[in-house]
Amino acid sequence: MEHTSFGDQRNATFSFAEEDHTLANALRFSLNQDPQVIFCGYSIPHPTKAQVNVRVQTTDKEARVILKDACQGLMQMCQHIRGTFDKVVNDFRTKNPSGNHPSQDMDSD
Amino acid sequence: MSAGKEGRALSILRDVFLANVRVIKNNFRPKCIYVAVMLRRMMEAILNKDAMDDKDYVGNKRLELSGQLISLLFEDLFKTMISEVQKQADNVLSKRSRSSQLDLSMLLVKDSITLGLERALSTGNWDVKRFRMHRKGMTQVLQRLSFIATLGHVTRILPQFEKSRKVSGPRALQPSQWGMLCPCDTPEGEACGLVKNLALMTHVTTDQEEGPLISLCYCLGVEDLELLSGEELHTPNSFLIIFNGLILGKHRRPQRFASTMRKLRRIGRIGEFVSVFVNEKQRCVYIASDGGRVCRPLVIADKGISRIKEHHMKGLLDGARTFDDFLREGLVEYLDVNEENNALIALYEQDATPETTHIEIEPFTILGVCAGLIPFPHHNQSPRNTYQCAMGKQAMGNIAYNQLLRMDTLLYLLVYPQRPLLTTRTIELVGYDKLGAGQNATVAVMSYSGYDIEDAIVMNKSSLDRGFGRCIVMKKHSAVNQKYENGTSDRILRPPRKDDRNKKGENPDWERMQILDNDGIAAPGEIIRPNDVYINKESPIMTKGSLKMVALKDSDYKPSRQTYKGAEGESCVVDRVTLCSDKNNNLSIKFMIRHTRRPEVGDKFSSRHGQKGVCGTIVQQEDFPFSERGICPDLIMNPHGFPSRMTVGKMIELLGGKAGVSCGRFHYGSAFGEPSGHADRVEAISETLVKHGFSYNGKDFLYSGITGCPLQAYIFMGPIYYQKLKHMVLDKMHARGSGPRVMLTRQPTEGRARNGGLRVGEMERDCLIAYGASMLIYERLMLSSDPFEVQVCRACGLLGYYNYKLKTGICSSCKNGDNISTMKLPYACKLLIQELQSMNIVPRLRLADS
Amino acid sequence: MSDSEPEAMAEADGVPSTKLPPHLELRRTRVLCKVDAPDNTDTIQYSGAYASLGHENSLRFADFCKDFRVDITRISDDDMELDMVGVDPSIANAFRRILLAELPTMAIEKVLIANNTSVVQDEVLAHRLGLIPIKVDPRLFDYLSENDTPNEKNTIVFKLHVRCEERGQRLTVKSNELMWLPKGSEFLKTSESLTSTSKPETYTSFTCSQDSMPEFAGNPIRVYPDIIISKLGFGQEIELEAHAVKGVGKTHAKWSPVATCWYRMLPEVELMEEIEGEKADVLKQKCPAKVFEIEDLADGRKRATVARPRACTLCRECIRDGEDWEKRISLRRVKNHFIFTIESTGALPPEVLFTEAVKILEDKCERVISDLS
Repeated sequence: MEHTSFGDQRNATFSFAEEDHTLANALRFSLNQDPQVIFCGYSIPHPTKAQVNVRVQTTDKEARVILKDACQGLMQMCQHIRGTFDKVVNDFRTKNPSGNHPSQDMDSD
Repeated sequence: MSAGKEGRALSILRDVFLANVRVIKNNFRPKCIYVAVMLRRMMEAILNKDAMDDKDYVGNKRLELSGQLISLLFEDLFKTMISEVQKQADNVLSKRSRSSQLDLSMLLVKDSITLGLERALSTGNWDVKRFRMHRKGMTQVLQRLSFIATLGHVTRILPQFEKSRKVSGPRALQPSQWGMLCPCDTPEGEACGLVKNLALMTHVTTDQEEGPLISLCYCLGVEDLELLSGEELHTPNSFLIIFNGLILGKHRRPQRFASTMRKLRRIGRIGEFVSVFVNEKQRCVYIASDGGRVCRPLVIADKGISRIKEHHMKGLLDGARTFDDFLREGLVEYLDVNEENNALIALYEQDATPETTHIEIEPFTILGVCAGLIPFPHHNQSPRNTYQCAMGKQAMGNIAYNQLLRMDTLLYLLVYPQRPLLTTRTIELVGYDKLGAGQNATVAVMSYSGYDIEDAIVMNKSSLDRGFGRCIVMKKHSAVNQKYENGTSDRILRPPRKDDRNKKGENPDWERMQILDNDGIAAPGEIIRPNDVYINKESPIMTKGSLKMVALKDSDYKPSRQTYKGAEGESCVVDRVTLCSDKNNNLSIKFMIRHTRRPEVGDKFSSRHGQKGVCGTIVQQEDFPFSERGICPDLIMNPHGFPSRMTVGKMIELLGGKAGVSCGRFHYGSAFGEPSGHADRVEAISETLVKHGFSYNGKDFLYSGITGCPLQAYIFMGPIYYQKLKHMVLDKMHARGSGPRVMLTRQPTEGRARNGGLRVGEMERDCLIAYGASMLIYERLMLSSDPFEVQVCRACGLLGYYNYKLKTGICSSCKNGDNISTMKLPYACKLLIQELQSMNIVPRLRLADS
Repeated sequence: MSDSEPEAMAEADGVPSTKLPPHLELRRTRVLCKVDAPDNTDTIQYSGAYASLGHENSLRFADFCKDFRVDITRISDDDMELDMVGVDPSIANAFRRILLAELPTMAIEKVLIANNTSVVQDEVLAHRLGLIPIKVDPRLFDYLSENDTPNEKNTIVFKLHVRCEERGQRLTVKSNELMWLPKGSEFLKTSESLTSTSKPETYTSFTCSQDSMPEFAGNPIRVYPDIIISKLGFGQEIELEAHAVKGVGKTHAKWSPVATCWYRMLPEVELMEEIEGEKADVLKQKCPAKVFEIEDLADGRKRATVARPRACTLCRECIRDGEDWEKRISLRRVKNHFIFTIESTGALPPEVLFTEAVKILEDKCERVISDLS
């Protein structure tokens, strides 16, 4: 859900249900890395409610676009991390064949 | 005429006045001397304030034990029985013609003594007319709330005077309490300082035979009182010998006499609890063998050298010797408070000087059982230890080894109780390490989230998932299969099942009776929900009147099922069912209903240092901080709990516990135990911590679980033994919209049990007045409470009534309805007016236009 | 770590921007662990934080790819340690949080107790069973939602039936006594027994046996052995059926796929001045983690060196004694180098857990993107 003031798409608060610090804190990092972001922050309004509010204020682009870009960036990062990790694991295995797993076949995708 | 009075006076002087000094063959001399000595003491006290006795001095006090009280009761009952038999026998014998021989045994009232004892024990009222004794509350039901509560209860000492008196003397800590009564364990509030507890090694003496001791005294050179004149009695070089408050005579070499007596005691020729006390100031030697004195064992030292040698201790450790052997061999002896004044007691063997006569066994024994659980109590502010003594009794855990077989009315158990990581010697001695009541929680002392203010603690949800603080609450419900006077009795029926139909083809109740076995009694292991029937009982309609010989028909019974009333959504289980007969020989069926609870927000927890707090919030483990080794605390405590409480012991417990888990050895924290090795020193603990890669001060480098960055401070973290207290929100939470009202005042009922309202009290009212919230007051105090419409007569100011036929209000004193106004007032006010009227006071209402 | 590292990092950050002065660079990349408190613990995320110095703080994806590095130090069946270099704590922490709370596993959720005469109460027994890790790949199962009937795609059924037959003996019931029932529940629903003439209904409705599925053929589902469930006295008996379903650690810790999972930032120990002679010996003695070693110089002098900075547990023992020691040694943590440890409970091998966790974060992002568009 998005809350913006009418006519000003640059400042917005996005409300995500069923999310917590895990996503919000990573998103905050990703948003902060964008030079177009003036301000970003998040809050969890109530500890018993699974909800986070992410506030984004930008220089001129729409906050929604910036947030989407940030997510995209985060995703790319994750993909890179995963790729690197899988490669390193495989390298490690070939170097140290002693620790072979019977469940290795599960890690197919 | 005067002879009768004189005789009575004489008998009073003989039997009542100073009854402890016996008059044998009308010899009043001992009594006279006793009075004279009393007077002498009194004068001395007037002249010299220092000679005054202290009535709060423990040596001047006696404890009354159950045996003494029961013997008094028995004496009374026995004598009453005898006099009763005597009266009856006289009655029978006075008759002229007797057909049979007199059989005294027939005249005995059967079990009058048994009944008397039973009555006294069950009511707790000790009414012994013979001794003008009327005491209430002499018996108590032993607390079985927790193991420590039981131990604390059996060591309790109740005072004789009323608690309401505002006196400070008896409440103050007496120096003579040392080693005998626990300095920490006393309740807060009105009984503070009056109710005491025994220390760990205290022994309360019982009466010992006096005769042999008296003759022994004479043998040892006591000059008989009979042979002495008043002048001789008080010669400067002699001491009076007083035995259990009786003047035996005098002795010229009191020290020698005392040491001979003590020697005899040590070799076991006289009882080990006989005390010999030489009072230099009063020039007396007191010998006491009476019951109710408190005494404690001490190691005897000869010229400052302990009699207990290495080989004795080895024997003790190997099990070849016991404490009683030590006592028998004269290595250890019991001293009472008075005799302690003749002893010079060294705290430790190395402190002994040539003058030392005794050495303390262990300093931590000055504390009682409850205070003995506290680790490092000597580092705490003293009230904290007192609070813990009260709180340890409320901790959930184990009760006894047979806890799962007991049928207590209320039983609180912990699912996974643990042994404290930081133990004390007392814990081992009383067996708390085997019947613990708490868990070792990893505590981080830091502030977190704002839900930890005012001593609230933040708990880790995953810890709770894994079983931390889980408890079992069992409640007993009982049913009686009553027998009635006309020979009928209740019956328990097979419950209707799903496919059963009664005559009308209905079967309304089978759902509520699913948990019943075929015998009509709930089966153990079944989940019981609110409104479930746990016993399908029926009672006969006719319970009085003539005895019908014909068998009762089904229609002669009405159902008297017992249903379980619990909170909705609470899933309880029938744990056990027992069948037994009660004292009226009725079948009694008892059900233990069990409920397992995990901690929730609002449950009360406490450490062993009087630091209680409720659970403020429960947080996911991933939000919790974690250390460099991946350790995540179980709970977070706010550091503001420390500065004002000054519970340094808790900090040392944390350090010691942390060192304990890292090196794999239980650490000790017995009171005053550092010099004797019963408590680990902070320096040594710190060294262990450093050896295992922790900081010496117990503070760890923690990462925030929320941001992932390190926290900006090192966090004091380690295990602390936490107790879950029996106060849980589930038993206390309460709210009401509308509900029952009290019949008399029509105001809402009071209390949670009656679904009562929440009272806006005087102080709340004051706040509202001060704020000027008049409509709120009006609403709370009248509309939401007891609004009532009354008819008021403007002419006479009295209350009238509303005539529904004429549809008008009528004043019953003016006999008309001309000046009636309708108004609202609280029903309680109307009640007051009417009650005053019934007392011939006429309150009149004068109405004005608003 | 050598002291040339910060500069190397700065160069990688961005070519067009100017380099930060070394004192700021230190604060940006290192946590300084002083005696009283750690300093500079936060990361500076805002891209314009050093704008006035002409330094661009944002991280471009290409640079990230260039700098990002993973090293594995240890992998075994149930735990692994890896170094993750070049990410922000918020990302590393997201993985940690997902591993703890959001990776699904199978765990016993429902226990049907037919008979339990042991001393362990039914609820406690069920709770204990719930915490037993099940060695099965949760990706092969679906979630069981509220209205679903338990079937072979969402439920695993185990049976436990033990009885102590020996007089005077205590029987310890361990988790390996849990028998997998590939055909589903064997307990009949009593209420339905009369009405239906067809197959009697049980508590699960499996359409086929699980061991006929290719994933489980010849690879039966097991639980972690050697966990004590209960102890039985003579004549005591436990007969129950345990139904395991899929769930996440957020709901209950039993579904957490890791025993624990954490990271620490790479320790860095700097000697600010030469420590020689006796002092070097003292320093070596001080450290319980044996971080320091003594180097013999050519002229017979001895000098302390930092041999194993990674072993530092941050006990601060080396900087404890007075200010002069604090001046000599600087304990630091590298803010973008994480030594990650994953301790699996056995459901999945740790390296799979990690890739799964990363995937979940990707899914989250994807969900947000789809929400926004």
